[in-house]
Amino acid sequence: MPTVTIDGRSVEVPAGTNLVEAAAKVGVQIPHYCYHPRLSVVGQCRMCLVEIEGMPKLQTACSTQVVKDGMVVRASSPAATEGQRAIMEFLLINHPLDCPICDQAGECGLQDYSFKHGQAFSRFRFEEKRIYPEKERIPLGPTVLLNMNRCIQCTRCVRFTQEISKTGELGFFERGSHAEIGTFPGKPLDNPLSTCVVDICPVGALTSTRFRFAERVWYLDKKPSICTGCDVGCNVTVEHRRGAIKRLKPRVNPEVNDYWMCDFGRATHERSRELPRLLAPRVRRDGHAEPGGWKEALDLVFQALRAKRADGSIAFLGSGNLSTEEAFLLARLADLVESPHRSVWVDSGPARTIPNLRGGITGHDAAPNRRGAELAGLVPKAGGLDAERLLLEGGAAACAVLVVADSDFGKAAHDPKVVERLREARFLVVLGWADSPLARAADVALPVATHPERDGTFVNVENRLQRFERAFPAPSQARPAVEILADLLARFDAKWGSVTSATAFDLLAEEIPALEGLRWATIPPDGVPIVREGAGA
Amino acid sequence: MAFERVLTRNVDRPEALTVRGYREGGGYDALARALRLQPEEVIEEVKKSGLRGRGGAGFPCGLKWSFVPRSTDKPKYIVCNADESEPGTFKDRLLMERDPHQLIEGCIIAGWAVGANTTYIYIRGEYTRAAAVLEEAIRDAYDHGVLGDSVLGSSFRHDVYVHRGAGAYICGEETGLLESLEGKRGQPRVKPPFPAVVGAFGCPTVINNVETLCCVTHILLRGADWFKGIGTDERNTGPKLYAVSGHVERPGTYEHPIGIPFQELLDGCGGMYKGRELKAYIPGGASAAMLTAAERDMPLDFDSLAKAGSMLGSAAVIVMDETTCVVRAALRLARFFAHESCGQCTPCREGTNWMRLILRRIESGRGSEADLDLLAHVVPNVGGISLCALGDAAQGPVKSLIAKFGEEIRDNLRERRYPLPRVPFFDLGAVA
Repeated sequence: MPTVTIDGRSVEVPAGTNLVEAAAKVGVQIPHYCYHPRLSVVGQCRMCLVEIEGMPKLQTACSTQVVKDGMVVRASSPAATEGQRAIMEFLLINHPLDCPICDQAGECGLQDYSFKHGQAFSRFRFEEKRIYPEKERIPLGPTVLLNMNRCIQCTRCVRFTQEISKTGELGFFERGSHAEIGTFPGKPLDNPLSTCVVDICPVGALTSTRFRFAERVWYLDKKPSICTGCDVGCNVTVEHRRGAIKRLKPRVNPEVNDYWMCDFGRATHERSRELPRLLAPRVRRDGHAEPGGWKEALDLVFQALRAKRADGSIAFLGSGNLSTEEAFLLARLADLVESPHRSVWVDSGPARTIPNLRGGITGHDAAPNRRGAELAGLVPKAGGLDAERLLLEGGAAACAVLVVADSDFGKAAHDPKVVERLREARFLVVLGWADSPLARAADVALPVATHPERDGTFVNVENRLQRFERAFPAPSQARPAVEILADLLARFDAKWGSVTSATAFDLLAEEIPALEGLRWATIPPDGVPIVREGAGA
Repeated sequence: MAFERVLTRNVDRPEALTVRGYREGGGYDALARALRLQPEEVIEEVKKSGLRGRGGAGFPCGLKWSFVPRSTDKPKYIVCNADESEPGTFKDRLLMERDPHQLIEGCIIAGWAVGANTTYIYIRGEYTRAAAVLEEAIRDAYDHGVLGDSVLGSSFRHDVYVHRGAGAYICGEETGLLESLEGKRGQPRVKPPFPAVVGAFGCPTVINNVETLCCVTHILLRGADWFKGIGTDERNTGPKLYAVSGHVERPGTYEHPIGIPFQELLDGCGGMYKGRELKAYIPGGASAAMLTAAERDMPLDFDSLAKAGSMLGSAAVIVMDETTCVVRAALRLARFFAHESCGQCTPCREGTNWMRLILRRIESGRGSEADLDLLAHVVPNVGGISLCALGDAAQGPVKSLIAKFGEEIRDNLRERRYPLPRVPFFDLGAVA
């Protein structure tokens, strides 16, 4: 592999590596706008100018590849610095400098680089700035708004629609200082990945209709998480302010979603605003559902379970929204009451495809973790009732106790007929974040944390185990399902009392060959592929 | 030995528009000779002649041909750059309108040399007449077996297509041309890879100017030594067309040995318009730096002009007399480049327009010396760091404006003389 020296630091890189990437390896940041690791190299913003020994002119780092050994690059020499300063000046002379009202402020390439490479005053003093009249808020499609005055013509968005979404809605029109981005007539930017152009836009030209004016970005707290929209398991960052999610953004994982994420996934957190929230345990006393304390509610459930233990009439219905650890504890509960009736219900959703370096990854489930829940033991044992029997055929009528984990386990949870059928169980326990019709029908309804309020792992469509973190605590009396289940288990056996997602995972990993050698603390940030024995897709 | 015009020998022979008439003057003999040689020998001959590209950059033609990979599975292409749109340049138009077969012959020879079976002549959109003449000539060439499956009865196949541009200067930049030829938005590509490896439709491509390919015809006919015998030295060889415009008595296209001193060229055009004094001239089209009257003995060839900080470019000589406001002339050119910048790269998109605005301030009388200083600081940033040569081109005339006329402009600014009076080129007073 050839060696390249950048700002005095040498590094060996594979032949063909461009200088922006090579520099990053030795900790040298070369400023750039148009370059994006997944888009074709066009070298047109000219921000990444560097000096290369033996070349008379400054070169763009993005379009220069390390081919031969011994290349010497200076990214911060006087000449390179002057080139970068000149480009910064050119980019800003016509920029509106409307940072105070711009959504991008705080995460803007122009702000960042002008701080480092720009100058504090303008020499463009007498002339009027070029503006694009009436092009300050053009809807390119349902999710993206364009402010042409802020655009720096890097064409990342254009290349995204050509090369990644392969839909080609965007084009580069006009020329010279009037060059602009736009859609072709009658072709709105409405592909399923459209909001990605907002992510890759280095400035405030493209803004998301969903996030626009929702929050100043420096107030956002960020936590790594996994999208719950389908079983692709896109890596996301939950960005919230005091528990109010403002947006979900893709988190780079070349093995799964790469740099991308679909528009549907970006809206998944809005689901928890659509339904009323269950905020305190509720128990049925003399036929009336009334608020109850946690102790009372869990004692009731415990007594019901213990009474019918080994009766063969206790059933557990999980969902694909459970984390692997939650499913594991639910399955443990089923073990303790010796019930064979344990299953998972998952709606099948429309196929959702996210492009990545291997061509793409397609999810079909409407929930993120059917595979993890099944792996953790939520599959019917011999003679056990499966989810279909419970939901569609009135299997619940035979149940003395039915525990449904997730009041919003699928469309069926909102179907009055299904609710009626499940209600035929003599004692119905529902865990859930949503105060759905099913929760209202329950004898005991237990409020649990929503997805970002808990931690855990999911197993995606390609059997990749990925961990997510808790972004913020659950409100009011709601608790993560892991805690609730641990409390219940502890009533049978005190050793479960201190179980967390971490210890639950480690216990599970010790049991299941597929997870052999894995520990919660050492699950890599971009996940780990596991082998599920005898598992279908 | 008196100089013999060869490139323009047929411009006054309308019969040369047909294959038959062209052959009467020795036409297609060069092609016949080339086909008897091995392709490598043709390239060698062109290399030996010292022929440098006539489009502007002056890259050695034979060397360019030799960059095309010999063994490749891909088809190869010859692209003739006939997108002659540099302000002041009109030499290729003459060649195409008056002697189309000379160009076609050059295209086929180039095709034989590099192993290309197809030529695209990318012609400037406004050149409707030249395009029609070429189309007619190509049809005639097919009818006479000059083009087609068997060129002059040999086993070599060659096709020529005329592709008309849509009116963008930037499509004269070779990779911008290729993008446009492929049906895309005409904007330059990032290089490398160079067209000789990845050119039209992703295949190896040679792009030559019209005049270059016409020269090839004569090199093959009369030999490299004849070609080398013309010109200043071994790096500046052959006959050259000069397109003279501006304040001269007889503007037009003139063929001279390359390296003719400017004064001699001017004398050949009947001298300065109405006998006025020379103030400045641009030796190589809008992109070239201006030269002053003091540099009137400058040999007009590649190296002499480069040494003087200008360039031969397309050899479009624009002559300006004492009545000219040089700032206004530079503004006119700056406006052209700002208008023609494709807009993809930052320094050119923003810089050309900024230069235009500053020059407009000065020219209109609203400027100050600070504007000239600012201009001097902005101009070097437009070229050199842009994606293609348009940025370099745009800074050429303005840079020289500051270097050669800076003191004069400062003086005018101090004395508040701008805007300077406009002197109409034609005196219309008598008509009124």
